[in-house]
Amino acid sequence: MPPLIEIKNLSKYFQVPAGMLHAVENVSFTIEKGKTLGVVGESGCGKSTLGRTMIRLQEATAGHILLDGEDITHVSGKKLKEVRKKVQIVFQDPYSSLNPRLRIDDTIQEPLKNSGDYSRSQLKEKASSLMDLVGIDTRLRQSYPHELDGGRRQRVGIARALAVNPEFIVCDEPVSSLDVSIQAQVLNLLMDLQDQMGVTYMFVTHDLSVVRHISNNICVMYLGEVVEMSPSKELFSNSLHPYTKALLSAIPSIDIDQPMQPVQLKGELTSPINPKPGCRFFPRCPYARGGCSEQPQQLEEVSPQHYVACCRVHEINS
Amino acid sequence: MSNENDIFLSVRGLSVVYTSGKKIVHAVNGVSFEMKKGETLGLVGETGAGKTTIAKAILRILPHPPAKVLGGEVMLEGKDLMGVPEKEMLKIRGEKVAMIFQDPMTALNPLMTIGDQIIEGLKLHNDYGEVEAAQKAKELLEMVGIHADRFKEYPFEFSGGMKQRVVIAMALACEPELLLADEPTTALDVTIQAQVLDLINKLKEKYGISMILITHNLGVVAQTCDYVAVIYAGKIIEYGSKRDIFINYAHPYTHGLFASLPSFSIDALRLKPITGSMPDPTQLPPGCAFHPRCPFVIEECRNGEISLMEISQGHFCRCCNIQPKG
Repeated sequence: MPPLIEIKNLSKYFQVPAGMLHAVENVSFTIEKGKTLGVVGESGCGKSTLGRTMIRLQEATAGHILLDGEDITHVSGKKLKEVRKKVQIVFQDPYSSLNPRLRIDDTIQEPLKNSGDYSRSQLKEKASSLMDLVGIDTRLRQSYPHELDGGRRQRVGIARALAVNPEFIVCDEPVSSLDVSIQAQVLNLLMDLQDQMGVTYMFVTHDLSVVRHISNNICVMYLGEVVEMSPSKELFSNSLHPYTKALLSAIPSIDIDQPMQPVQLKGELTSPINPKPGCRFFPRCPYARGGCSEQPQQLEEVSPQHYVACCRVHEINS
Repeated sequence: MSNENDIFLSVRGLSVVYTSGKKIVHAVNGVSFEMKKGETLGLVGETGAGKTTIAKAILRILPHPPAKVLGGEVMLEGKDLMGVPEKEMLKIRGEKVAMIFQDPMTALNPLMTIGDQIIEGLKLHNDYGEVEAAQKAKELLEMVGIHADRFKEYPFEFSGGMKQRVVIAMALACEPELLLADEPTTALDVTIQAQVLDLINKLKEKYGISMILITHNLGVVAQTCDYVAVIYAGKIIEYGSKRDIFINYAHPYTHGLFASLPSFSIDALRLKPITGSMPDPTQLPPGCAFHPRCPFVIEECRNGEISLMEISQGHFCRCCNIQPKG
C-alpha cells in the first residue's frame, strides 16, 4: 500500500523585489495513513508554506505531491475539486479564518453545500452531527464568530475542515493562539478524531512540546530545508543536527531544579532570498567550519528512519 | 511576614473595572502582594485573567474611561503611587518604574529611528545634550547586543527579536528600579526567547532591578522568577515561592494548568485539561470564580468570599477544599 501522502523534491519560491525567496527547498517525505507528521521550525522557516503548497493552496515551483499514489501537483478543474474533498486545512488564527458575517451553523454548512453531496435536510443533519463531534454547544450554533472565545472558534475551524470527510488535514499552528488549558482540550479533540476516523495529519507548529505529544514522526525545518527527520521519541532523545540540539535546549523547562542551558546561537535567521548553495544554518552553527558553506547538505539516513542533513553529523555526535 | 522596611513594592486591595456600555468588566478584584528589592515575581494566568491590567494600574497608564481603579494602594518605597500628582508620576515612569510591552512590533514608533526613540526617553528624564544623549543611547544598544551602527535605522529594518531588545534598551534607559515585563518573549521564537531571557536575567543581576514578569508560559516562570502569583478572574488564587507553586501547588486551577502541559518526559496518551473556559468577566460566578470548572467543587465554593489562606509559611491558597497531593 502506498503512503497516503508522498512529496518528492518539493520547492516553492516567491519572486520578491530583492530576488528569489526560497521558502521551501527540495523537501521530500511520506506520511502513512492515520499517522501524524509534525513539522517544526521557527517563524519564516517555510513550514506553513510547505503545508499550503502540499494541499494546492499555492502552486509548487518544482517537485511532486502524491495523494494515494496519484500525482496531484498539477491537477485542475473537476479533478482539483475532488482533491479538495480529500485534503483540508485548519488555520492558525481562529479569529481571521472564520467569516465574521456567517453564523457558526452556516460556516460549517458551506463546504457541505460546495461538495454537492447533500440534500437540504441532510445538510442540517450533517452540520449538527459535526458540531456534536467537536463539542460545540447547541446554544452557540446560531452565534456569530465574535461571540465565541478562541477555543470554541478553533473547534468551528476543525468542524469545517472535517465536513467533507477528508483523508488528510494540514493543521497549521491550530493551538498556538490558545491558552494552555484550552490548548489541551483542542489537542485531545484532534487525537480523538484521528482515533475515530483514521484521518492523517500534518501538524505544523513552533511548539516542540505540542509536537512531541501529537506526532508519530517529526521533521525539523530551517530556512526552507529539512535538517532532521525521525520518529518523534528518537528526535527528542537523540537529536543529531546542531540546529535541532539548539532548538531543544532553548525550551524553558518547567523543572525548577534544571536550569536552562541553551546552546547560544549567533545572530538570527539569515535571509532566504537568493540563498548561497551551502548549509543555510552555517552562519549561526556552533560547529561550523569552512567546508559547510560550500557544499549543499544532503539528508542522510544515519540510523533507521533517522535522517540528518549535516556534513559533520558523525564527528559532532561521536 | 517580612520586615516592613525590606518591602520595596506593596500592592494592597487593588481593584480595577472596565465599563463597556452598561456592562461592567471586573478585571482586577482585590489583588495584594509585596516584593523586596531585587526579587522577581511572576504573574501567571490565562488570557483575560487581569495580569496586564495589574501592571498598567501600578504605572497608572490605564485608559480612563473605560478603565477605572475602584480602590487599592500601590506603595513604592513607602509612597502611595495612587495619590501622586500626574506631574510627579511622569518622573516616576521610566526613572523608577519602566515597562516592557508585549508586542515589539507595535510598541515602537514606525516613523522614528530607534536611536531617536531611545533618546526621547533619555532627554525627558535627564539633562542630556544632543551628543551626550546619542552617546548614551548607543551604549544602551550595545548593551542589548545591537551594533551601535544601526542607531539611525527604523523599526521595520529589525527582526522581531531585535525590536524586543530595542524595547528592553528603552525600558532600561533611565535605570529603573522596578521593571514590569509584560509577556516580553511571547512574540519571539524559542532560540531568540532564550537569548532575550538570558539578557534580562543578566541585566537584572547587574543592576539589582526588581521585576514583575507577566506571562502565561510556565517554563519561562520556572527559569526566571523567585515568587509566583497565579491569577484567575482578577484574583490571586495561589501565591508562593517558585518551589511552592511548581512542586507543592495546592489550588485545583494551578493543578489543572500543569496537567494541561504536554510533557517531554512522560508519554501521556491524552492530556487532562481543565474543562470549560474562563468565566464571563461581566458576570463572575458567586463564591470562587473557578467553581464552575473545578473537579473538587463543594457547596461552600458556590457562595461567599473565599479567603486567601496561608497553608505553609509564605505559601497562600484561595480554596476551601484543598486536595491532598497525589
